[in-house]
Amino acid sequence: MILGDFGTSYSKFLDLSSARPKPHIIPSKELGTEHRVTIATGHNGKRFTDWYVNELTVLARGGEQLIAEDAFVLLDCGSRDIKFIHYLNGRLNDMGWNSECGASMGFTIELLQRYYDLDYHELPLPVRPFSVTCGVLGMSRIFDAVVSGTPDSEAVARFVMGIAINAYRFAGSPTKLYLSGGLCDNPLFVKSIPCEVIPLGRFVLLKGLEAIASQAGK
Amino acid sequence: MNYNNVGIVGIPPLAIIQELNRHNITIHDLDTPMIKADMELTTPYLPRVYCAILRTVVLNALHLTLDAIYIDVGPGKCDCALHVATVLEDMFAIPILTTINDDITGFGTPISQSRMGLLQKFERITEGVKNTIMPSEPPPACTPTAGFWGVPPRDFSILDLFPDTTHIYGWTRCMENKTPADHELELDYNPDIPTVFYAQSFCAKTALARHLALKHPHGLYLDSDVTAGGSAKAKIQAFLELSGVKL
Repeated sequence: MILGDFGTSYSKFLDLSSARPKPHIIPSKELGTEHRVTIATGHNGKRFTDWYVNELTVLARGGEQLIAEDAFVLLDCGSRDIKFIHYLNGRLNDMGWNSECGASMGFTIELLQRYYDLDYHELPLPVRPFSVTCGVLGMSRIFDAVVSGTPDSEAVARFVMGIAINAYRFAGSPTKLYLSGGLCDNPLFVKSIPCEVIPLGRFVLLKGLEAIASQAGK
Repeated sequence: MNYNNVGIVGIPPLAIIQELNRHNITIHDLDTPMIKADMELTTPYLPRVYCAILRTVVLNALHLTLDAIYIDVGPGKCDCALHVATVLEDMFAIPILTTINDDITGFGTPISQSRMGLLQKFERITEGVKNTIMPSEPPPACTPTAGFWGVPPRDFSILDLFPDTTHIYGWTRCMENKTPADHELELDYNPDIPTVFYAQSFCAKTALARHLALKHPHGLYLDSDVTAGGSAKAKIQAFLELSGVKL
C-alpha cells in the first residue's frame, strides 16, 4: 500500500509494503502516471488515487498520532496555503484552512531564497517584521524596502517574520504551537513565530494517512 | 395588479405573497441563482466585495423581464437590501417596492427538522417563499446528528456534504416559519449536535454566525462567497468526520 501527500511544490510518499517504510520526496513538477497511490491527500492528490482524503482530516489524524497531549494546536504551512487544527479535551475544537490570504506563503519564501541566493540558516532574526498578509502581497514590501536601501537579506528576513506572525495569528495565537510542513526546516521562520514552537517535520500528513489506512484495515 | 412577472428579494410579508398568488402572478425569487451569467456583469452597479446573494439579485434582475420587484428591507432581511433597493430604482424603470416584513404567525418548521437530504430541504424551504399554503402533510421530525445554522448559501453544493439527519437552524428556519424577523428563533441552536454556523461572506450575519459558533460547545464558523471553494468544503467534511458524525 502506497500513501501519497501531493503538495503544490513537493510530493511525499510512503510505501507501507516495504520492509522498512521510509518516506521519500519528489518535486511535484516531476509527477507522472507512475505515481498513483492507494490513499492520497494534498492539493494535487485527486489525480493520483481512487481514495482521496482531505488535508484537514489527514492533518488531524497525523496530529493525533504524533502529539501525546489532549489539547494542542497544529499548524501546517504549505507552499500555497496554511491550515490548522485545535484539539481541546482530546477532541476537535476549531480548525481553519486559508488558501486565499495565506496564499503562496511557502512557495514565495522558497522563491525568494533562490532569487536572492540566501541561506535561511544564516539570516539573523530581524528586529521587526513587515506587516504582510500573504506571499503575493508581501513581495511588494520587499522590493520597496530594497529600493529604499535595506539590504536584500534584511528585507527578506522581515518578510519571513511577517508571514510567520500572520500564520501564528491565523492559528489563534496559541502559547505553544506544533508546526508541520517544509517550513519546519527553515530556522528563520520557526524562530519568527512568537511562541513555543515544536516542529514535527514535513511528514505529518503521511502519518495521518498511515493512521487512516490502519483504521480502514481493522 | 397588472403584473405578469414579479421579482422578490428576501421575504416580503405574507399578505403581499397572497395577493400575488391571488392574481396568478409569477413570482421569481431573485435571491437564488436563476441565470447562468458572469457575476462580473453586476460590477457596474455593486462593489465586487459585496454580499453574493444581493449581487445575484442584480444579476437576475438584469436578465429577467420583470414588471416589479418587491424587496424586503426590514429586520428580516438586511440593511444592504435597503441600499440595493436604491440601486435597483436607478437601474430599472419598473416599480421597486420596499416592504418591511414583521409577520409573527409561525407556520412551523417541519422541513428543518426532517430526515431528508439537506440540499432538498433547502430547495423546499426556499421554494416555499412563493406560496402561503401551510404544508398539508409535513414530514416527521428525526433525531438530529448534525446542525446547519444560517442563511441559504449562494452555493448549494456545500449542502451535499451533510447527512440527511441534519437539522436546519438560523434564518433559514425563520424562512420556513415565514417569520424572517423572528430574532429569537434565529438565535436558536442545539448545543448537543456538531453544528456549522454559516453566513455569506461580507454579510452582517457573519458576526452572529461567528459569535454563536464560539458559544456552541461544538460549532464551526464558516463563510463563503459566490462559490464555495475546496477549502470551505474540506472544512465541513473534516469537521463532520472528526466530530464522529456518520455520513
